[in-house]
Amino acid sequence: MEKCLRTMEPNRRFKLTDKGERILKGLQEKEIAKVIVIEEDKCKGCDSCKSFCPTGAISGKYGAAHRIETEKCIACGQCLVNCPFGAPGDVVDPVDHVIDKLRNKQLTVVTTIAPSVRVAIGEEFGLEPGSLETKRMYGALKKAGFVIGDTNYAADLTIMEEGSELIEKISHYMLKEESHIHLGALPQFTSCCPAWVRYIELNYPQLIPNLSSAKSPMMMHGSLMKTYGASHLWEKRPEDIFVVAVMPCTAKKFEASRPEFSNAAAYWASKGTAGNYPDVDVVLTTRDLARLFKKLGINLAKTPEFEDADNPMSAYTGAGTIFGNTGGVMEAALRTAFFVICGKELDVLEFTPVRGLKGVKSAEVTLKQAKTGRELTLKVAVVHGVKENIKPVLDEIIAGKSPYHFIEVMNCPGGCVNGGGQPINPMGTSWTEKFRALLPWN
Amino acid sequence: MAEYEYIEQKTEVSRRAFLGILGAAGAILWSGIYITTDIFQDRNKYIKMRAKGLYKDDTISKIRQSHNNHAVAAMYKEFAQKPLSPLAEKLFHTHYIDRTKLS
Repeated sequence: MEKCLRTMEPNRRFKLTDKGERILKGLQEKEIAKVIVIEEDKCKGCDSCKSFCPTGAISGKYGAAHRIETEKCIACGQCLVNCPFGAPGDVVDPVDHVIDKLRNKQLTVVTTIAPSVRVAIGEEFGLEPGSLETKRMYGALKKAGFVIGDTNYAADLTIMEEGSELIEKISHYMLKEESHIHLGALPQFTSCCPAWVRYIELNYPQLIPNLSSAKSPMMMHGSLMKTYGASHLWEKRPEDIFVVAVMPCTAKKFEASRPEFSNAAAYWASKGTAGNYPDVDVVLTTRDLARLFKKLGINLAKTPEFEDADNPMSAYTGAGTIFGNTGGVMEAALRTAFFVICGKELDVLEFTPVRGLKGVKSAEVTLKQAKTGRELTLKVAVVHGVKENIKPVLDEIIAGKSPYHFIEVMNCPGGCVNGGGQPINPMGTSWTEKFRALLPWN
Repeated sequence: MAEYEYIEQKTEVSRRAFLGILGAAGAILWSGIYITTDIFQDRNKYIKMRAKGLYKDDTISKIRQSHNNHAVAAMYKEFAQKPLSPLAEKLFHTHYIDRTKLS
């Protein structure tokens, strides 16, 4: 982080903390200021990154080297995965740090692996995009010395929390039932995507009450592993549990550094054992994990499959795994909401209106309350690709005309499977590389 | 002074040569378009391939609804009681920050 700050431009205004550290505008103390930086030598000034940046954070004239304005950047990494020259880079590199921790025998190094990692990590080892590598990935993680935890488990937990929150809001606002907890506004936004959360915090603070108060699956898993995991599963001190999140996302690196995410430490402090540790210690992207495997001499493609049965932290359902796709959170939430409200399971689980790559997908679901027999129509929308598709939806809400109750938003086009931490263009490393590969003398 | 007379030299393109030129120009245009569309198609293809992988993971799962996840249910039973319980609020929920006010 210090290194990042040193590379800052001198004309920025800084605020100083008590310790004399510099904080940037729009950032809290201890938050990682810069995740993505454009390398000036590599940048050709072609403007393609600008056409992918959802917040207009990239400045620089056509033809001149571009620069990312940290204050506006939401660290989504779309510039990074779409640059034809590979100029933007992820400057937060914790691979060696994680390897050090793996060698420390006192620590239990636990992973939390996001859904989208399992369908993309193979690409770094010459496998086809989309090949489902859950078991081989578990095998490789085991070999590297990790205790396996799967974010998909936490995704199921997220559905329980976020879904319950939505149902509570619906019964309070639509069915006029009383509520015992503090509720935000409808429509409810999903809050799993850290880039999206920061986008709202930076650009539409008036819509913060609409964000679900539920944390992202990664952060839930982190605090759960250091509380429930520490006391009930592994019987370890929470300080000796080192949580490594593997995410398809560069914004997660920023999210994990948010100072409010030390709920496990607060929980143990209330039990009388004070400590100072974050819920998630380190975030690796899919690319970082592949690099870690390669450094340790593990070839994922040749690793024997490993099934982690009887490990509660990695037990997941089909609803948890589709979180990585656009529409997946919605589909998973509807499966559970239907059961909770109607008292029976859906006959057909695949909910096709929220699948696919259309910019804004909307659907209506009629639910019949089991208790009272009352019917209610749930209107939902799914937005991905914040840059192109979010504005009309938000304007509608601000104008008070939004018909929706629940809106899933993912910053990256296609959802997390196309996140900024995923292997870069699997059909070749970048556009120019691909073009060069077509040339006859190669 | 002798009058200068400009005589244009005839450039003759035979029908065969004309077709040849047309063919070459067409080929150059076509290959250019083919390469660009091919690159762009690829860039979206991998999103669909990865999405398909996750939907496959869903289909092969024995349990496909979050509320039926036994591990999560056991965690609630042993630890957090129920969704939105005071402990769940503490550990699984958060607040957000109006970043326009952070200077």
